[in-house]
Amino acid sequence: MSKEIKRIILALIVFCSCFVSLIVYISYIQIFQGETLKNNSYNKRLWINEESILRGSILDRNGKTLVYSEKKGNGYIRNYLYGRLYSHVIGYSYREYGKSGLELQYNNALLNINENAAINEIKNLVAPTTEGNTIKLTVDHELQSKVRSLLKGKKGSIVAMNPNSGEIYAMVSIPDFDVSNLKEDWKEISENPNSPLLNRATQGLYPPGSTFKLITAIAALETVGLDESYDCVGSANIGGYIFKDYGENVHGQIDLKEALTKSCNTYFTEKAIQIGKDKIGTVADRFMINSKIPFDLPTKSSQFPYRENLGKTEIAASAIGQGKVLVTPLNMALIGSALGNGGQVVKPILVKEIISKDGKVLKTNSTEILAQGVDIIRANEIKDMMVEVIRSGTGTNARIKNVKVAGKTGTAENSSGKNHAWFVGFAPADNPKVAVAVVLEEEGSTGGKTAAPIARDIMLYVINNIND
Amino acid sequence: MFNKAIRGKSPRSLLFIFEVLSLFLLFVYQNTRVDRFTIMTGIGLILIISLSNYLLIKISSGDNYIFLIVTMLISIGTIMIYRIDEGLGIKQLIWLSMGILLFFMTYFFVKYIKGWQNWIYLYVGASYILFFMTFILGSRKKGAINWINLGNFSFQPAEITKLLIVFILSSYYANISKWKEIKNASYYLMGVIYSFILLLFLQRDLGMAMIFYLIFISIQFIYEEDRKLIIYNIGLLIIGGIIGYTMFDHVKIRFQAWINPWKYIDRQGYQITQSLFAIAEGGFFGKGLGLGHPYFIPEVYTDFIFSAICEEMGIFTGIGIIMLYMILVYRGFKIAISQEETFFRILALGISILFGVQSLIILGGVLKMIPLTGITLPFISYGGSSILSSFIALGILQVSSEEISLRRVQDEQRD
Amino acid sequence: MYNILAILFKYIFIIIIYLFIFSIIRLIYLDIKGMEAISSDNRTYLKLINRTDSLPFKIKEHYSIDDSLTLGRRGDNHIVVKDPYVSKEHFQIIEDEEEYYLEDLNSANGTYLNGERIFDVMKLKDGDIIRVGKIEFLFVSRE
Repeated sequence: MSKEIKRIILALIVFCSCFVSLIVYISYIQIFQGETLKNNSYNKRLWINEESILRGSILDRNGKTLVYSEKKGNGYIRNYLYGRLYSHVIGYSYREYGKSGLELQYNNALLNINENAAINEIKNLVAPTTEGNTIKLTVDHELQSKVRSLLKGKKGSIVAMNPNSGEIYAMVSIPDFDVSNLKEDWKEISENPNSPLLNRATQGLYPPGSTFKLITAIAALETVGLDESYDCVGSANIGGYIFKDYGENVHGQIDLKEALTKSCNTYFTEKAIQIGKDKIGTVADRFMINSKIPFDLPTKSSQFPYRENLGKTEIAASAIGQGKVLVTPLNMALIGSALGNGGQVVKPILVKEIISKDGKVLKTNSTEILAQGVDIIRANEIKDMMVEVIRSGTGTNARIKNVKVAGKTGTAENSSGKNHAWFVGFAPADNPKVAVAVVLEEEGSTGGKTAAPIARDIMLYVINNIND
Repeated sequence: MFNKAIRGKSPRSLLFIFEVLSLFLLFVYQNTRVDRFTIMTGIGLILIISLSNYLLIKISSGDNYIFLIVTMLISIGTIMIYRIDEGLGIKQLIWLSMGILLFFMTYFFVKYIKGWQNWIYLYVGASYILFFMTFILGSRKKGAINWINLGNFSFQPAEITKLLIVFILSSYYANISKWKEIKNASYYLMGVIYSFILLLFLQRDLGMAMIFYLIFISIQFIYEEDRKLIIYNIGLLIIGGIIGYTMFDHVKIRFQAWINPWKYIDRQGYQITQSLFAIAEGGFFGKGLGLGHPYFIPEVYTDFIFSAICEEMGIFTGIGIIMLYMILVYRGFKIAISQEETFFRILALGISILFGVQSLIILGGVLKMIPLTGITLPFISYGGSSILSSFIALGILQVSSEEISLRRVQDEQRD
Repeated sequence: MYNILAILFKYIFIIIIYLFIFSIIRLIYLDIKGMEAISSDNRTYLKLINRTDSLPFKIKEHYSIDDSLTLGRRGDNHIVVKDPYVSKEHFQIIEDEEEYYLEDLNSANGTYLNGERIFDVMKLKDGDIIRVGKIEFLFVSRE
């Protein structure tokens, strides 16, 4: 074969490979990116359906209507009865601004569009949809309002949930915005440096501060042969950095329980070196830190990058919830729930049921256990310590008369200079009905002082009013 | 013909069935708006295609698959265009009929006129004239000055230059022994070609510039003895690319839109993202003719006709179209290999490469595999200049598929 | 109920398009199998001019000639043509001292060389066209 022919054939092979790669690429797009592309809010086809379908309503756990659509002229108009309260949970659905929150995530359900395109087509032929489905949330409207009023004037987020079932009773993130006024306020909202569009509960990453000591404490319990005693002198030099206890308190001879009760920093920083970053990290992993939490809304993963090369100071800082550790309030609520229910990390649930227009329940989201964070014996050990925190430690502001409360406070340093105030806890301790995570962003005071009383009110309300 | 259809083996019968069915479907879709004129045009299309295919066998002893493939492509294209806009659909039919006529005319013209390989100066001269005409008379359309309006009728000179460049390269390399005697002849050639590319660049017709470049470098790869010229070419491309990106905004915008269209989704990324939505919506089998929303796609008649086809007729149809182009290019290459006469061999190669490169560039751009350029999908996109020049190219390819020595014999017989 | 029709048709269209593609590929493949014979180094051969699918019987595109080649309806010919127009033994080509000669074997309908019916033995040169009924061959002899 002459050189010329050889080269021609080579050129032909190049061309054919290009065509084949086109075929592979287009298949790849369809198979792997198809769904995401179709649901992009710039895809106007999403809206075509809307014009002929009555979008479903959204109810709270008791059946109270929060959002509904009604016919107006040729189309429909959507009424957000509590525009601010559910701005992050429910979100919005507008032609010009797209969709967010549950309006986006449950778009198909609300319009009664089947995910499977083929089934959809057949459905459209036989019985075209005119009405969407209703979704019933796990949220308790009264509690949601109460929680929001407790956060008034502050910045931050609160998640209150059932520690056994995973159902979320309330989820609030401040600053928020008014969904029903979106058009008018849009410029202001999108330019606000405090990011009101951000759902801090699921996507806000904060240093957890002393609340992270729960993880470190579990790691300590699981470290065989660890000497639990310690002589606290108020400060400790780890790797060149001097860690101090709050208010320069000297706690003297303490064990793990006392250290957690009084939230002694030096104890945990010193013990962390002995426990090792990998052990702490592994425990953190079991509580869904470094993992994506499956949820009805988009979430950010909490981070504890323990696999990196961390110096002693970093490890010590991580042990007390500083350094590179960042968590979401949702994640902390799951941790609190786990310690209350015997160590199981449950899947958080926001949508309880999808109900057809005829009243038939189409789908129920039921409880699912994501992981065993810690064994039941150690969970109960930690629980006892958390009870002591409330009884006599840093969390006394969360005490409820005649109710055994368990919790952990936190005061997280951050770059703004004003500490975040944290509280994570559950009540009643022996058979918890509610777990709560509170973070007050840049509050400038301790968790025990400002976050604990808010948590207290929330837990009291749930115990008295919500029965499952 | 019918028992072949029953056996299901003849592609011609399949094509016929396809056209009849889709026409029927479109008429049901149109429902009340179907008038006699439309029915006539539709039947006209089917008749023209069947007739041409039949005629071709009688006239030419060469390849008849390339015409068959092209008729399938134009059928799919016309049906889609007609579905989107009946007026344009009918105009497309008219262009196609003219195209087929031009195909036969080109066939006879190229076959019976001798000496094509000797007129390289004519080709070069004509190209420059066309370029200067564009600069002087040209009007801007969609950011590129590459159209000339003559009253009611507008055409793209670059479509003709596209063919001329294939002729230039074929004449040069077919007579390489003669040219080699002139010192630095290959550099002159490069100079001429690059001047074309530069002119196109200045006209902002980046897609066409890329086509010219790729045809040149492919032919060079096969035929240029002096291998280092190819390296120079590649080097120039890299340098040119970097200069283009840094110095010209419109190049930069294209790149940005390609790499992350989501960031610029309501500006430069708009076109490509709408195209991707359409393709995703279609699924594998499509939504069904008439059930999609092609009017959400910008430039849907020309650049993005493929996306509309994918939305309504599915990824499988899209893959089918890609396969048809691949077979067309393959067939063209095979015609080239079988052709003993060097000039026609390079001509066949040049045209196959032209079809290949053009379809790859626009399909790649529409799928976001490469940056988007404003060129048409041959035989499928709407556009008079594109269709006419593509059919002329096909006619040339048809001539190249015949045995030239056979023709020599037949000519001698006649004398 | 246009929708049902459109949805039904989309599957039909895809099937048709792929049948089309596959039938073309199949035809091309058959073509290639025929072509492979050409790449053999034979300098002298008969090349079929007509299109294979326009002829109602099986015939190859390329027949190489060693020292002789015969064409006829009978099964023992080199080229067997099942056409009533063709005689049982129609013509033969013989090689003698590097030259090739065409001889009509008293066929009923004749053998035509370059358009004229032959009655004697004729010497073949490169480029000659041999015709039997509808079939036309090009005689190729490259040195």
